[in-house]
Order: sequence, then structure tokens, then C-alpha cells
Amino acid sequence: MYDFIIIGAGIIGSTIARELSKYDVKAIVLERENDVANVQTLANSAIIHSGHNPEPNTLKAKFNVLGNKLYDELEKELNIPILHCGAFVVAHNKKEEEHLLELYENAKINNVPEFEILDYEEAVKSEPNLSKNTTKVLSLPTTKVTNPWEVAFACMENAMENGIEFQKNAEVTDIIYRDKHFIITINNQTKLKSLAIINAAGVNSDDLANMIEKDTPFYIRPRKGEYFVIDRRVKGFINHILYPLPTDAGKGVLLTPQVHGEILIGPNSLYIDDKNNKSVTFEGLDYVRKNAPALADNIPFDKIIRSFAGVRASSNLDDFYIDESKEYKRFYHLGGIDSPGLSAAPAIAKYLLEDIIKIKDLYNINKNFNPYREKRIEFHRLPFEEQHELIKKYPTYGNIICKCEKITEKEIVDAIHSKLGSNTIKGIKKRTRAGSGLCQGGYCEEKVMKIIARETSRSPIDTLYDSPKSNLFKAETKVKE
Amino acid sequence: MKRDIIVIGGGASGLAAAISAKKEEKDVLLIEREDRLGGILNQCIHNGFGLEVFKEEYTGPEYAYIYIKEFNELKIDYLIETTVIKLVRVKDEFILYTSSLKKGIQKYIAKSVIISTGCYERTRGSIIIPGDRPTGVITAGSAQRYLNIDGYMVGKRVFILGSGDIGLIMARRMYLEGAEVLGVAELMPYSNGLTRNIVQCLNDFDIPLYLSHTVTRINSDENNRLKSIVLQKVNNKFKPIEGTEKIFEVDTLLLSIGLIPDIVLLDSLDVEYDKLTKSVRVNQALETKVEGLFVAGNALQVHDLADNVSKESERAGYNAAKYVDNPKREHKMIKLLPGENISYISPQYIDFAWPDSDIICSFRSKSKIERGLIEVRQGENTILSKRRMYIVPAEMETFSLKIDALNNTQDITINLEAIK
Repeated sequence: MYDFIIIGAGIIGSTIARELSKYDVKAIVLERENDVANVQTLANSAIIHSGHNPEPNTLKAKFNVLGNKLYDELEKELNIPILHCGAFVVAHNKKEEEHLLELYENAKINNVPEFEILDYEEAVKSEPNLSKNTTKVLSLPTTKVTNPWEVAFACMENAMENGIEFQKNAEVTDIIYRDKHFIITINNQTKLKSLAIINAAGVNSDDLANMIEKDTPFYIRPRKGEYFVIDRRVKGFINHILYPLPTDAGKGVLLTPQVHGEILIGPNSLYIDDKNNKSVTFEGLDYVRKNAPALADNIPFDKIIRSFAGVRASSNLDDFYIDESKEYKRFYHLGGIDSPGLSAAPAIAKYLLEDIIKIKDLYNINKNFNPYREKRIEFHRLPFEEQHELIKKYPTYGNIICKCEKITEKEIVDAIHSKLGSNTIKGIKKRTRAGSGLCQGGYCEEKVMKIIARETSRSPIDTLYDSPKSNLFKAETKVKE
Repeated sequence: MKRDIIVIGGGASGLAAAISAKKEEKDVLLIEREDRLGGILNQCIHNGFGLEVFKEEYTGPEYAYIYIKEFNELKIDYLIETTVIKLVRVKDEFILYTSSLKKGIQKYIAKSVIISTGCYERTRGSIIIPGDRPTGVITAGSAQRYLNIDGYMVGKRVFILGSGDIGLIMARRMYLEGAEVLGVAELMPYSNGLTRNIVQCLNDFDIPLYLSHTVTRINSDENNRLKSIVLQKVNNKFKPIEGTEKIFEVDTLLLSIGLIPDIVLLDSLDVEYDKLTKSVRVNQALETKVEGLFVAGNALQVHDLADNVSKESERAGYNAAKYVDNPKREHKMIKLLPGENISYISPQYIDFAWPDSDIICSFRSKSKIERGLIEVRQGENTILSKRRMYIVPAEMETFSLKIDALNNTQDITINLEAIK
């Protein structure tokens, strides 16, 4: 019998798992996908917003501002990458300046710690490519960028270190309630029992709730956003996140520098019917391309290396839905966690456990809790002397596999065998960045495939791109038959 | 120890460059990333190599072997499984940092460097194909490597986007290996591959070529594997025409949508970039703005034929040797400019500091021209006027100029005119 089953290992499930590991509980996280952070957490703007935008007195406003602060703690404890770049909201005329003032007031009410309005002349000093049509900007220095899936990995790894279990490829197919506990069926086979369930299933959180609730208090209205990625060799083109003024549809098309140097352009925002629709469209990307130049001049569109789309778990409600089920005690919902969900995640985790579950009344503190996670070695970023020392100990640091991002064999082998290891091409890419660069894996995918096959003692024909049926190859050549 | 010349890359370009530099009695070191010499030639098991250089037809590995044999006979120093991670210029020397399993991080010094790093394939990311992002969408060159080097088929029902040569070669290769190849789509109204490849790789196997068509949708199945693609005809502005959609149920889409010179190593050097070649600007000696730094082969401009890569790189090797003999030169440059109907020209400069170096110019036309007139002008003077039949963007054209016929003050423009 588990004390808690967390369903979903995105940023929300992962931060909750880590927070839960501070207590003396028996808990497991179940993930439908073949990896942590494979859906919404993998495809978003990666911004930790300041909290200037949400409607005052909402959970969104409260947890955004609080979550932003908590990331500084996570940065120290878990060694997650954070780019403290700050943001500018860009206004182009008198009317937009009025709107900018409203945002300024909003930021004040939401208790955003630092912000100011700057004239174009002031702003352009630190942002040389800022659009010349800019008149004023709202500067939000506490806005920052992270790598969302690295945060999820870090939290989940740390949670596992502190005793939480994790199972991937585990789709919940049924939930029943009996004798004061829940019985969960995984993949129509295995059954697990738990005293409490935390529904962090993102875009599927309503479907999950509907398995047991008669009257789920929210439903998901999936909203798709499409993006371009510009190669990291344009690093320095922009120094801040550049936001347009928000509209009802969201924060609009942004320019966002990423922690590893790329720039994201996007997203658009479109309600869709199919939650699994992660497709990019001519219209969507065209919209992104047309709107981005309002923020900066001479955007290097010719350096685009990728486009992608992500689905946000928006709901019919205006705010996050974080509460215990009205029908079943100890069944907890995290519904409609769209933007600023990433920013709010650490605060949401604390709120859920401390205020909703009141965990301190139920369980003891985990006395052995270790809040720290060792920093992942990014070999190419180390000074030459350190590289030399490491190569002496581990010669495979000398073998560069991904030429574009300079990722070594040792880093790939470590990513396969780490606590939260992966044996898929995509899993290795998420953990090491092999294949994230200019050639998008053209040079290194074959090498990564061979290392995975070697390290997991299986044939290349069985190596996967991502999901359990996503084999890279369909057959061996005739010669081999 | 300071080397005369370091060649980066051991494929068709690097081998030829190293050999010609060594023949000029220079101390040459070649550095190769993979575990053997030959580069991409090793995976090109089809024939068609060597006709220009040897007047004989070879497969890629055979063609590479001829060079590797000579390379070994000349006892040229080389490193394999070694990646150059940084290249910088300090005063009049180049410093290279390499990384390898056997030696860790090493530092090498050279008087001159030849960049023979080839090119990489454009991926789905560099063009917009709407739809899902399933497995089974893969560049043709990667699929070729998996098939010919590793022995694995990436799919059984295949469609190919882009009529570049690798795509055409792979259409035939996959067919011969037992896959169903349903067609090749080309956005342009003409093929981007060599005519001989259209004939020998598609026509001979009844594989349809859809000109003025593109893939407008990618659909995945529930396992996120490619399930189908939608093919659509495009108008003369390359916009898809409604009502022309055709659905192909395939498990693999090979992309053969172009190659881009791989010059990432030049990031820390003060070179001049050319948007048209997507590489750097060079003079007729294939020397960049950085003295003693030469670029050749597909790293300089994407070639159709390995033979031309070899010939160009041979010149780079020879010139690098001449540079080592005489590094102090008075540069006096004029520009070579692409005029009408020319999509790019290489070299971009003529440098009078290299009076003995042949001026061999390569260009591609912007469109298909049945009968063309190439005109090279310097100010009022027409330096060259040449008729040429059947010029297509897919086939690189070359001509040569004599430096004596040029003045050293006015830029040169190359025009291509369609005539009756």
C-alpha cells in the first residue's frame, strides 16, 4: 500500500515528488510516456516569469511570484541551469504605453519584487537589436529562463534519491475506490493500492479524473503553441526575453534566449480539439514569423534549426485548479496548469502538500532527506585544466560524439546508466544535448545508437527513438539474413 | 612541433589536399574524426566516381582507396578518431586543439590550415513541413550510412522529398534492398540532381518523380511512427494548390533537401561569410581573408561530383604549400560578383598576390537555360564570352580566367543570359 501515487512526471509531478520526498512516505510516480518530461514540459518557452501578468488575487499570480523565488533555492540545491536574463515587455506607441502602465500596476499588486519602465534609449543600451519602433519597455529583472526538462529530471532524481519510486511506460487505465483506498490499474494489468492520489496528468488530467469522478470540476481545453528554434551560434542576438503586450490569447509571440544559447521564437496560441495534436502548421509558423519582428530588428531567421509545437493544459477555468476532489477524499487534482505553470511549479508543490493535504499533520519529516543533487558534468564548458584531469581518470571524455554540441562518450554513457537513465535517442538528447545542434543529429545519431546498443547489450535493431515501439530500424539488410 | 600544413578532414577533399601539399615537400598532418579515412565516400557504394579525374568509373570506396593508397605511399602523417575542437590564429600561426579517446586533449601548431570538413545535410528543421514529428523522417545521407555501413533499413515503404543526388541514389538503393519506393517529390519545376541519376536511379526502376510538388503534411501513427504523408502540387510561387492532395501511406520519408558547408570550426576566426554559398569568401588560391587559411571541397561550396572536390582541394593543397614558402604577400584584391541569373560564384575575390594561381571559377545558374551565354565583364571590357548548352542549377558550371587579362582596380561581374 502506497501513501501516495502521483500520476504524471512532468514539471508538476516531478516537483511534487521532490517535495513529497521531504516526508516519511511511501510513494510512486507513474508516467505514461517512456521518459520524464516528455509532453508539455518538453515543449514550452522555458521561462520563469516574474509574475507581472496574471490577474491579481489568483493562484496563478500568487504561485508565479513565489515560484520564481523558489527557483533560486532549486538552483542551489539541485544544480539546475538558470539564465538570469530578465525580460522587457515592449510597447510601440501611446496606446501600448497605457497598456504597459496597467501591467506595471499589475506587477505592483502581485508583489513582483523589482520592475521599472524604461525609455527606448535606456533599453536599447542593453538590448542593441531591440526594435527601433519601440517607445518604452517594462523591465522585469527577476524573469529568468531554465531548461524545463532538466528541472524535472533534477527533481525526480532527487526524489528517487530520497526514496520515491518511479515507473515509466505506466499508463493508468482504471481507478477504483474501496475500503478507504484507491486501486489503480496500470496498462490494463498491474494493480497498485494507495491511500491518496495526486493527479498531475497535464493535458490528460481531466480524463484521469473522469475515471473515478462523476462530476470533474474542470475540463481541459488544449491550446497549441508553435515555435522556431534558432541555432545557438546566434548567442547574444538578444540578452533579455522580449514580450509583446499580452492579449486574451496569452503572452503572444516572444523572443526567448535559452540556457544553452539558442533563441526560441513563438508561440502562437490556438485552441485545438485533439490533445495529442503536436503538429506544426504553415499558418502557425507564419504567424510567429510575422509577429516576432515587432520585438527585434534583423532576426536571424536563416539560422532556424528546428520548429516544434507544444500543447498547453489550459482548462475551462481562468485559474489553476488545485484542490481535493469533492467526491473522493485524498484524491487531489492539479488541473488547468498552463502558463505560468513552470514558473509556479515549486510553489504549487508546497501549497498542495502543506495547505491542501496538510502533510505535516499526517506524516513525519524524512530525517534522511538530502536536498542536494550533484551537478551534471557539461564537459565542453569546463576549463582545459579540468578537462585534462577528467580525461586522465575517464578517457572516454576525450571521445567527442556530438560534434555540434561537443558532447562526449562519457556523458552519454552516464546518461544511460544514471539513476534516471534513458536508453532512447530522445532520452539521451534530453539529458546530454547530443543531437540538439546545427546538424540535428545527422552526424551523431548513429554513434549514440551504437553506444546505447553496446551499453544495454542489445542489437541496434532494438534501439528506440522514444516510445517502446519507435525502433530506429525496420529491418536488417539482405546480406545479414 | 610546428607543422607546415594541417588538413582538417580526411574525405575526398582532405586526402587530395594533403597529397598535393606533401608532393610540394611540406610537412603535412591530416586530422580525421571517424575511425578511417575516406569520409562520406565510404558510404557511397554506388558507382559514378572517377570519370573526371581518372576517366574510369569507380564506386565511392574504390575512389577513396586510390587516394588513400597514394596518401599512404607518401607516408603522410595522420590522426583518426580525433576531433578538432578549436581553431585559433595567434600572430602568424594557427593553434588547433584536438580531442580523442587515445590522446585526450592535444594542441597542434601549424603555419597553414586547410579546411576540408565537408558539409552537413539540411534537416526537417530548416524547412517547414507541417504536421507531426514522428520517427521515420530522416535525412537521406543518414539513411545511407545506416544501410551501407551498419546494415540496417530505416524503413520498408519510402517516399523521398527533394531530388538531390543522395535522395535519388537512395531511391534506387532502398528499392534494390527490397523497400517499396513510392516516389520522389521536388519543389522546383526541374530536378536538383544530376541527369544521369534521374535516369539510372528513378527511370530505370519506374520510380515516379513529382516535379513542382512538395510534402504538405506529415502524419504519425499511435506509436509516433510515420504513417502517411500528403503530397501537393505547388504553383509558380511554390504555394500548394488546393485539391491536388495525394496521400501516400509510408513508414519513411527521406529528406534530400540540400547540403550546407560545415564551417563551424571557423567561428573563432576573422573570416568573411558569403550568404550565397553559405560558406566563407576566398580568393582564387582558395585562401580566406585569414592568411594561410584555405577552404576546399564541400566546406567551400557544395559540389555535384567528388571528382571536382578532389581537383579543387588539390589546388588548395598546392597553394597552401606555396603560402608556406612565401607567407608575406602584398594583397591587392578585386571582387568577382554574381550578376544576372547566377546564384553564386566561387571564388569571390581575385587576389593579385597570387599571380601564378589558376583562376578557376565555379557558379550555378538560378534557372534552367537551354542555350546560355556566359559573359564575364570588368568595367567596359568583356573578358570572356562563352556559349554553353543546357545549363541547370543542379550542375555546377566552371570557367577559367587569365590574370594577365585583368586590371587590378575594377570588380568583375559574371552574367548568364538565355539566348535563342
